[in-house]
Amino acid sequence: MPIAAFTWTEFAQQLAAGIREGAIYAGLALAIVIIYRSTRVINFAQGEMATFTTFIAWSLMNQGLTFWEAFPIVLAIAFTGGVVIERTLIRPVENAPVLTIVIITVGLALLLNGLMSLIWGGANQQFHGPFSTRTIDVGGVPISVQDIGIVAVSVLLVALLALFFRFTKLGLGMRAAAVNRDSSRLVGVRVSWMFALGWGIATVLGAVAGMMIAPVVFLDPNMMQTILLYAFAAAVLGGLDSPVGAVVGGILLGVTITLLGRYVGFIGSTLKLPAALLLILVLLLVRPGGLFGKVAVRRV
Amino acid sequence: MRTRLWLELSAFVVLAAVVVLLPRFVSDFRARELAIVGMYFIALLGLSVLTGFSGQISLGNGAFMAIGGYTTAILSVDGFYGHQVRDLWTIPIAGVVAGIAGLVVGLPALRLSGLYLALITFGIAVSFPQLPKEFDHFLGGTTGKILNLAKPPFGLSTTANNWIYYLTWGIALVLLVAAWLLVRGKTGRAFKAIRDSEVAAVSSGISLGRYKTLAFGISAFYAGVAGSLYAIANAYVNPDVFPIILSVYLVVGLAVGGLDSLFGMIAGAALIYFLQNHADTVARWLNHLPALSLDPQKPGIPSVVFGIVLIAVMVLLPTGVGGLVRRLFGPLTTRLYTRS
Amino acid sequence: MRVFVVCAAVAVMAVASAGARPVATPGVSSDEIHIGSSVPLSGEAAIAGNVARGIDAYFKYVNDKGGVLGRKLTYTYLDDGYDPGRAVNNTIRLIQQEQVFAVFSSLGTNNNLAVRKLLNDAKVPQLYVSSGATTFGRDYKKYPWTIGYIPPYSEEGEIYGRYVVKNIKKAKIAVLYQNDDYGRDLLAGMKRGLGKKAKSIVASVGYDPTSSDVQPQVTQLKASKANVLMVFAFGKFSLQAFNAVSRLGWKPQIFVNDVSSAASLMAIVPQKAANGSISIVFGKDPASPQWANDKGVKLFQSILRKYGNGASSRDLKDGYFTAGMATAYTLVNTLKKAGKNLTRQSLMNAATHLTERGNPFVLPGIVIHTTPTSRFPITQVRLQRWSKGAWRTFGPLVSAKPG
Repeated sequence: MPIAAFTWTEFAQQLAAGIREGAIYAGLALAIVIIYRSTRVINFAQGEMATFTTFIAWSLMNQGLTFWEAFPIVLAIAFTGGVVIERTLIRPVENAPVLTIVIITVGLALLLNGLMSLIWGGANQQFHGPFSTRTIDVGGVPISVQDIGIVAVSVLLVALLALFFRFTKLGLGMRAAAVNRDSSRLVGVRVSWMFALGWGIATVLGAVAGMMIAPVVFLDPNMMQTILLYAFAAAVLGGLDSPVGAVVGGILLGVTITLLGRYVGFIGSTLKLPAALLLILVLLLVRPGGLFGKVAVRRV
Repeated sequence: MRTRLWLELSAFVVLAAVVVLLPRFVSDFRARELAIVGMYFIALLGLSVLTGFSGQISLGNGAFMAIGGYTTAILSVDGFYGHQVRDLWTIPIAGVVAGIAGLVVGLPALRLSGLYLALITFGIAVSFPQLPKEFDHFLGGTTGKILNLAKPPFGLSTTANNWIYYLTWGIALVLLVAAWLLVRGKTGRAFKAIRDSEVAAVSSGISLGRYKTLAFGISAFYAGVAGSLYAIANAYVNPDVFPIILSVYLVVGLAVGGLDSLFGMIAGAALIYFLQNHADTVARWLNHLPALSLDPQKPGIPSVVFGIVLIAVMVLLPTGVGGLVRRLFGPLTTRLYTRS
Repeated sequence: MRVFVVCAAVAVMAVASAGARPVATPGVSSDEIHIGSSVPLSGEAAIAGNVARGIDAYFKYVNDKGGVLGRKLTYTYLDDGYDPGRAVNNTIRLIQQEQVFAVFSSLGTNNNLAVRKLLNDAKVPQLYVSSGATTFGRDYKKYPWTIGYIPPYSEEGEIYGRYVVKNIKKAKIAVLYQNDDYGRDLLAGMKRGLGKKAKSIVASVGYDPTSSDVQPQVTQLKASKANVLMVFAFGKFSLQAFNAVSRLGWKPQIFVNDVSSAASLMAIVPQKAANGSISIVFGKDPASPQWANDKGVKLFQSILRKYGNGASSRDLKDGYFTAGMATAYTLVNTLKKAGKNLTRQSLMNAATHLTERGNPFVLPGIVIHTTPTSRFPITQVRLQRWSKGAWRTFGPLVSAKPG
């Protein structure tokens, strides 16, 4: 089929959509990286946890709360939920092989997905986000206010987290625990609780990502499944142990996939993700730790 | 050491006996189900060699199964230069084609390790279902390819399901023996050395490149054979027959079976089959526990059941069924040294 | 090695084999007829599974009134999660373990394609397939045991095409379609309906069902400056398309395909974009005020209340349940026509010589009609327009029988 002609207006709109997609991947990828850094586990349930918390927000809003009223409540629930899951499911098996723990997260994903269908049904639901669906004129190009809002919230969240890690004692403790458990214990860091904190923060990130994207793609139990795949790719691209990498990787991936799918004929919609993954693989061959990551030192 | 050998041999004999006699005691349809368990078992044997013995995590073996399945489908439907190939003879071809793909994948895998490798192989599992959609002329698109129903050869008077059962488990037993010999031999020792410490392995003269790619090739061959059998049993392939989640379920089966326990893979295979297809039965069993009321017809219950059982099994048996068996039989097979 | 394996297997089988002997007419006894379906009860397409629940309720109603010629209907429906591999497993289980008489109203184009050959090879009726793929009615020479039911997608597309030619001057058409047989069936039909005006299509973009959002595709379509948009998209992608159209400030005449036109879906998209959308319909939409006092809809609701196994008030307005009952009504008619001496062959004969009027769940005036060479039971539809939160039909019954 013919590719429609190139116009700068459309390009700008596709770019904006790509950045917005990328912001969502970045949020989820950041959550994955935070958990990986602390507990060395890839959390396969990250997407389902995000969707679950979004459903909670939806329920609250159905009871009459506005978005901004429900928002802090959901974040609190998300944080608590993440901590509880880490304490009950991950901590007891922390000495088991990594693969075992990863399988537990797979089980958790299945469980949450089933619970969502059970509690809220499988139909698509409308989610009223905080941003209007108007478009505003940015240099002659109509851009959706929603897209701008999503990117703004994501940037704000990442900035807050960066400040937290950099300038607070708790953040320092988390970073220390991720780098070297034993030394951290020696200086008084409660390593085990740092991990729980990591899971809590990761779940909050997921909740925000979910609440941002639900107005666009409609809420249903399977909402985050494809997005989680992209988030894994973004995390690998940026380097699994680099939060900065997760964010950069997410945005880069979002833009690349959108533009590739639109402007490279034979890739189209079907081969977007495989093409992106191939590019990431090539990158990893050159830099095995991703853009910003470090390759683990091999000990004899 | 000798005790262990006798234990494993007797386990094999018991298994073979059960395989031969079981269809007499179960329904025809159940034989078909057990055949599919056998196919998962074959794929898990390969994955055990790769991940359990050589330490390379793969979340992409579902794609190798797909390669095997599609090879069988293309050869039996479109044929080779117009000549339709009998489904039986496509099985080894499918295995080899998948095996070659595995060797190819093994090459870049040399540069990656740990969870980077896991996620890249996962990327393969994600990407592969897209290929038949893109090259739909050759690979059938989402409509897929429809094969002729499996029929027992040489006019044997048995049902199609029993035929599939014996074919699958016959191949499974042979491949089990092959895997067992492999891991006990020089190659297996090289794999284990690499798994335990790559640096040490290299300094003992083991070629990392050769063995790591070989492991991928072997595991892909096994997966390809399993996929081929699956295509024959279903008489149908399309991208959804080998979905992304299949690769995840294979790793689940691997963990439940106990990474490097070949016999344990039977438990893993059984678990992933029955949780997918008989979650309703499991739900009914669980209903006997107090305070649980799981109506199998309600949406989401099968997933909930699958998730709960999976978590429970992994928390209770972190080293899988194989690990449990080793702990139980361990005292028998280790010499006790006493010091006075 | 391979030869050794096969010989071993053969030797072993000689010991153990004992094939099952086929029953006279499976699934039929003096007081029971056993029918089976494979439908999605979980996963993405789970709401479509309500078709089976509608059928189940209707069968129970019929049983209470004495059944069909003295036989009660037993209905077994299995979940396939919209996965063709599981549909194959389910169907094999239905014929081998459950020993059903016929497989009926299984849902999903790919699911039905996956089992079509095995059902035909086993000479089991594949009746009233719940999919609009044209092949189910068209390819009867190769698959004589298969017959469709709902209006085929190619016909639907053709009706839209003809409408545009007749009613929209200077039309510039953009098409968003799902990149598989379902979407392409609709697109091909529409091109046929445009005839000489096929050049009116200024842009068509396919999307893959693994996409997370179709905004990039809609953005591309808007850039073509079209004034008509065909949404040949499934479920949530259709919803996202409306969302994107609204967010981009675009106001084309939208046509949305029947499968995605459920009132429950249309109600949650931005109404600014949804108002004025056109679709086709063959059944009475229980959510529309147009049929609020209709006897057929009232019957549907009373059956669902009594036999619906806990139907909610939302279910009473769900068109999927009605579609299920319509199909069940036709099946009961077909069974009656096949007579007391019920065999699979007599069932297929009845199904291919059908003339049914007065199905209470489809639009008044529709005649459900088949002949052995024309296997599209429902080909008459009406156009409907969405406004103020509901669908309302307009115009006469139209039809564009597929070739």
